[in-house]
Amino acid sequence: MELFGYDKPKDLDAIYAALADPTRRAILVRLSEGEASVGELAQPFAISQPAISKHLKVLERAGLVSRGIDRQRRPVSLNAGPLAEAVAWMTEFRQFWQGSFDQLDELLSEMQTKDSPDE
Amino acid sequence: MSDVTPYILERSFDAPPELVWEAWTDEKHQSRWYGPGVDTVVHKNEPVKGGQWLVEMKGDGWSAFQRADYVEVIRPLRLVFLQSMTDADWNVISNPKMPDWPRVLHTDVTFSEVEGGQTHMRLVWTPHEATDAETAFFANALEGLGRGWEGGMDILDDLLAELQA
Repeated sequence: MELFGYDKPKDLDAIYAALADPTRRAILVRLSEGEASVGELAQPFAISQPAISKHLKVLERAGLVSRGIDRQRRPVSLNAGPLAEAVAWMTEFRQFWQGSFDQLDELLSEMQTKDSPDE
Repeated sequence: MSDVTPYILERSFDAPPELVWEAWTDEKHQSRWYGPGVDTVVHKNEPVKGGQWLVEMKGDGWSAFQRADYVEVIRPLRLVFLQSMTDADWNVISNPKMPDWPRVLHTDVTFSEVEGGQTHMRLVWTPHEATDAETAFFANALEGLGRGWEGGMDILDDLLAELQA
């Protein structure tokens, strides 16, 4: 965990707003397997292609995906960099506490062994 | 009052509340468990209402500082404090990495005894006197931490590993 020495912060707010929606998260998970067209992305969802396109715009603005230049298909691909940074921060807060509590667990069992009258 | 959803973490420890309390509040224990993978130095430890807890976490060539101001201390059941990152002089600062992360988090920790001498701990974080930007950031970030994201997190963990390789 490193708290200092970072470059200018990225626009994580836009990233989190983008990640707050379950459909958009599912799109990202799908894209982590490889690029896809809008039609391919719409398939597993019960929503229209225009609705998917709307979600993609949000993801694109947050820098999480980019669109290919192929005019027919315009495949969508994942930009893992900003995503990695956002996830790193989300997990950092949780890992700080969970890691601490794992250590507390160990300490408590040690304290109990020492306190035990049988020892 | 803001109506922001708090972030809640619950956990059980295989020890009675008195012992968990001692580990939380005695500085000879605090430096052992608080802060994973860092060298934790407790500069001040006053676990009473109105008291301060000043702690430095040292990593490889860097230090991070935190303070807690106790609002409520009910041994061995409840600890309520305002928690912030600080500079080296214990002045509250924004998170340098995340300027919209709430500067002050209201942290409410309760310990309850469960059968078999165990302790159930419940931690509730709420942004304290937060700006709209802080409240929104907290809500969005923690939405990401919780509901429905766990499955995606595994895949993203792999991605992270790849990026770092």
